[in-house]
Amino acid sequence: MNALDALGNPVRRKILIELRGAPMPVGALAQRFSISRPAVSRHLRVLQDAGLVLASERGTQNVYAIRVQGFRAVQEFIDSFWDVALSQLEQLAKP
Amino acid sequence: MIVKSVVLACDPGRAFALFTEQAGLWWPAGRRHSKDANSTIRMEATGRFFERSKDGTEVELGVVRHFEPARRLLLDWYPGTGPENPSQVEITFEAADGGTRVTVRHRQGSAGTAAFEGNAPAYDRSWNQVLAAAASHR
Repeated sequence: MNALDALGNPVRRKILIELRGAPMPVGALAQRFSISRPAVSRHLRVLQDAGLVLASERGTQNVYAIRVQGFRAVQEFIDSFWDVALSQLEQLAKP
Repeated sequence: MIVKSVVLACDPGRAFALFTEQAGLWWPAGRRHSKDANSTIRMEATGRFFERSKDGTEVELGVVRHFEPARRLLLDWYPGTGPENPSQVEITFEAADGGTRVTVRHRQGSAGTAAFEGNAPAYDRSWNQVLAAAASHR
């Protein structure tokens, strides 16, 4: 799943908001949600595949954190669409 | 929100027509739903915003929410996030020195993001913009 699709889910957005406050392991994160820990893990996996979070091992558990570059990529994808579009529009409008 | 602006060497009426009727000519080739670089893309006063490829297949790319020739266009935008989570694109056309200033404002989601942004710690500019915008989807 790409980053934009991953952001399309409200639970995943809430996970990202929590992780923005501080990196944390899945257990601590799951306590903040009414869904099960395995469900939180599944959402984390989607976010990780989309490049939006990073997991790092700390002792016996994974700690999850925001991956800022992933968000930049989303921004740049939209940004570059309009850069190309408007420059082509500019050419079209020339008399 | 992403804001982009350009001045076109034509009047606002023509700029609006180029944008809405000939989108197939300016839409980036690699970003088309159909993968057909010569597909037709149109935004219509009826509310339709669609792409038609060579074989006649049509696909909705969004919805035209506001269609005000030579002035303003407001679109629900499906590319990237799909019809369940459209982003919003507002395009304004203003007479300017040398022609028409076209300004594009592309927002994720429809609700206001101000509340979230106000409480967010300064982190990274692009991160803040994208996540705050995404967080406004409800």
